[in-house]
Amino acid sequence: MPDIDVLVVGAGPAGSVAAWQARQAAPELDVVLLERDRAVGAPVRCAEGVGDAGLREFASPEGTDWAARKITRVIFLAPDGTEVKVAERNVGWVLDRTRFDAHLAAEARAAGAEVLVATEATGMSRNGDGRWHVRVKSGGIEETWRARVVIGADGVETMVGRWAGLDTRVPSRDMESCAQYVLQGIACDPDAIYLQFGDAIAPGGYAWIFPKGIGVANVGLGLVALKTNGRNARQYLDDWIDRRYPGAARTGYTVGGVIVHTTIKQTFTDGVLIAGDAAHMINPLSGGGIVNAMKAGRLAGCVAASAIREGDTGARRLSAYHHSWMDLLGDDHLKYYKIKQALEDLDDSFFNGLARTVNKIPEGKRSLGRIFTHALIKHPQLIPIAAKFFV
Amino acid sequence: MRRVTPDTIAVVDLAVCDRCGLCLPLCPPEAIHLESNVLTVDREQCTGCEKCVGPCPVGALAMVAHA
Repeated sequence: MPDIDVLVVGAGPAGSVAAWQARQAAPELDVVLLERDRAVGAPVRCAEGVGDAGLREFASPEGTDWAARKITRVIFLAPDGTEVKVAERNVGWVLDRTRFDAHLAAEARAAGAEVLVATEATGMSRNGDGRWHVRVKSGGIEETWRARVVIGADGVETMVGRWAGLDTRVPSRDMESCAQYVLQGIACDPDAIYLQFGDAIAPGGYAWIFPKGIGVANVGLGLVALKTNGRNARQYLDDWIDRRYPGAARTGYTVGGVIVHTTIKQTFTDGVLIAGDAAHMINPLSGGGIVNAMKAGRLAGCVAASAIREGDTGARRLSAYHHSWMDLLGDDHLKYYKIKQALEDLDDSFFNGLARTVNKIPEGKRSLGRIFTHALIKHPQLIPIAAKFFV
Repeated sequence: MRRVTPDTIAVVDLAVCDRCGLCLPLCPPEAIHLESNVLTVDREQCTGCEKCVGPCPVGALAMVAHA
């Protein structure tokens, strides 16, 4: 029976960074990173936008093949079509997630972790020896591996958390159903991301255009199903694209769920840490989760490494991970979640009014900072709308 | 406690399902499973609450009479 120190389940940003950082913190450890799919980074279930500062904590985007576009503008579209342009020098990037995720997995490998694709964890149990016994399936063969610490970075479905007895369920109102096409041959500013709000377009969420090149963009939306009349995310998206880009070629399609909740109450137990989407570490206002996942992965990898070195991987020792995460971002998410709930009561006319208010600021002076100040005076509830992408 | 058999339970149309996993954390009794790229609803665990049906972004889940 293979016997390893750290088993990371899921080679997305959380898992790859966890494996990378665990090995970097303690090079003597056996660290294995499992990816269920046949390729790290595919299929892409993501709009691929990421803030500049957060990304740079882990990788420099200049000159790489995994950074598709540098973004220097955000264009907010109110329900009535009013555009609010905000220019900032370093807003962020639209990534090529297939390549970016592979890059992070390669960092884990370079640090000495083993990376296994097409290899799936299918269950695990605690057998009294202080280890998790994890069933690992690859090529139709299932074996049992022993691990001191299992890091669950297995995304929205979060099976590791479930197996470990942690409550990872999500209320329906906090699940955004998302659909996205890659559109080719469309007219849009290749240096800007567009965020379109409106109850008729994306009830409870927003629609987006994230450029990946000239005339090519991820065009998608997320909505809260409780607010729709039985139509699904794909139907809403088809309607919007038919109106906005009737001549576009749809060259890619993906769907997925974004958990717009707060961090699960407990992200750890004996020998287990949960990181990224699996632990609901998405910003509940923006739905952004890539940088959060990497930050959580870094914490999880470092805590796992030091706990193993100290010979104590019990829940109490691993709770340091949870506290560090809550201090870093988790507590902020509790506040954002309350703001999200307040915004749910506002209707389209309110957002239209905000857009017109903000447009009175001259475009050259329309920095996010000034918008915050202005919005704070005029509509204090709405500041976070503009902050959505960045926080 | 007697288990109440629901009138209807959720079923997945695997020809439509995209295996995105969105429905798994929505299921209160954790009756939905995704393994070897196949989504299944455990008909013994499903309570018929329908919480998985509306949020499916492609409409792959539906309620049927519990046979």
